[in-house]
Amino acid sequence: MEIKITTTQILKVLQVLSWIIFIGLCIEAGGIAVNTAITLFIHPHGAKNFWEGSDYLSKLYAFDHGYFLVITLIMTVVAVLKAMLFYLIVRLFADKKLNISQPFSRCLRKFILNLSYFSLGVGFMAHLGYKYALWLSQHGLEKADLQALRLGGADVWIFLAVILLVIAQLVKRGIEIQNENDLTI
Amino acid sequence: MSLNELSEKVGLTLSNLSILKTGKAKAIRFSTLEAICEVLNCQPGDILEYVNH
Repeated sequence: MEIKITTTQILKVLQVLSWIIFIGLCIEAGGIAVNTAITLFIHPHGAKNFWEGSDYLSKLYAFDHGYFLVITLIMTVVAVLKAMLFYLIVRLFADKKLNISQPFSRCLRKFILNLSYFSLGVGFMAHLGYKYALWLSQHGLEKADLQALRLGGADVWIFLAVILLVIAQLVKRGIEIQNENDLTI
Repeated sequence: MSLNELSEKVGLTLSNLSILKTGKAKAIRFSTLEAICEVLNCQPGDILEYVNH
C-alpha cells in the first residue's frame, strides 16, 4: 500500500510544530525576564530559579548586580527575538497567505526577509553575549556555559540569516517568472 | 463572434481572452496563436501588430 504525503499535510504538521515551539519560546523569554526582575528587586536568591545556568548566574549576581543584569538582558532579548521569529511563521499559517497554486508572492518574500533580519538579530546578540561572557571570565569569573544561557550557536544563526537572504533574492526572481507566466496565454 | 463563442472554440478562458484583448498579455504560446488563427480563419499578421513605444 503506497502512502502519499501531500504538501498540504506537511504544512499542517509544520503549523502545529511552529505553535508548540512559539509557545515554548514565549515561556522561556517570560521566565528569564520574570526571574531577572524577581532576583533584582524582590528576592536575591531568585537566580537559582533559572532553569539552566542557575549556578553561573547566582555567582554572577553575587559578583556584580550590573553584570548580571547585562547578561540576563541579552538572554531575554535573544529569547524574545527567537519567539518573534516563530511568531512570524505562526502568523503566516494563520493569515493563510500561503497559496500553493501561486507560491511566489511579495508576501512570501517579505516574510523570508523578516526571518533573515530576526535571525541576524539573534546571531548578533548571541555573539555579543559570548563576547561579554568571555570578558567577564577574564575578570575573575568562571567560564560561562553558553548553551545553558541559551546564547550558543551565534555563527549558525548568522549563517541562517545569510541563507535566507539568498533565498529571498531567488524568490524575487520566482515572482517575476510567475507574473510573466500568469500573463502568458 | 462574441468573446464567449471565441473562448469556447479556441479553448481559452474568458479571463485569458480579456488579458489578450486589453493588451496585458506578456507572451502568447504558438499553440494558442494557431488555435485563434484557425477559428478566425486568418494569419498571425492579421491579429498581431508591432507598436514602437
